[in-house]
Amino acid sequence: MGEPLKETRTRREGTHLLVRAGEYTCGLPLAAVRRVVRALTVHPLPGAAGELEGLAEFGGEPLPVLNLARLVNASPGANPSYPVTVVVRVGPADGREMLGLAADAALEVVHVPPDSIVAGEGGFLQGEAPLGGEVVRILNLEALGS
Amino acid sequence: MSVPHAPGFLLMRRAGGVWGIANGAVEGLARDGAGYRVTAGGQALAADEILGVVADLRIYPVAPALRRFWSEEPAGVAVHAGVPLVVVDPRRLPAVLLCEIPRCEIPRCAAGEAGAGEDEP
Repeated sequence: MGEPLKETRTRREGTHLLVRAGEYTCGLPLAAVRRVVRALTVHPLPGAAGELEGLAEFGGEPLPVLNLARLVNASPGANPSYPVTVVVRVGPADGREMLGLAADAALEVVHVPPDSIVAGEGGFLQGEAPLGGEVVRILNLEALGS
Repeated sequence: MSVPHAPGFLLMRRAGGVWGIANGAVEGLARDGAGYRVTAGGQALAADEILGVVADLRIYPVAPALRRFWSEEPAGVAVHAGVPLVVVDPRRLPAVLLCEIPRCEIPRCAAGEAGAGEDEP
């Protein structure tokens, strides 16, 4: 007999892609991740806030790219050897938009039990969860697009 | 040099980015030292390079996440030849495009009129 539906859904919702962003490890809800690609070439937008790296092209469409380390106020880490752009869907269900998150590295996919997340200040940072001896910042991508 | 009011977009490079402006909004284009001055919406714009004119662009609305971190209000964003670009709204031109020096030789240019007498004895 299969896993109960509720448990399956909870497990899926708790699955995260871990990425390195400066000194921090961040967890992105896997359901929101569309693609992980080698860092896209970004064209700057003069006058933009530091979090916004600029515009890139992805699949023939313009893609805003945010700097994940700046978003979570992480100090820059060492020069990344394989920087990536994580293409995610953000915003509420009725107004999803594609966004690129520039990160230092994609690490692994893990399950973060919802009850292990200590709620953060709200907004983009959902909270923090202990994982493998370190603290992972769990991000709320829905808040990013609204 | 005058720019014909044809459909399409004038593409230019400025401050590391690529910008598009509807041909119909372009009132003039002239060389200015190493760059160019484009007149649009009664204002003088600076361009580092003119990339050409394209007949059409698929314009995407500015996403909320972009607006959140960028205070400019462009008409939209697009991609041409694999390069992302910002399509400007002539009524709300981005600050980075506006000529910093209020002197412009383009006829009908508001900035030019304001500074026309500065060099005269």
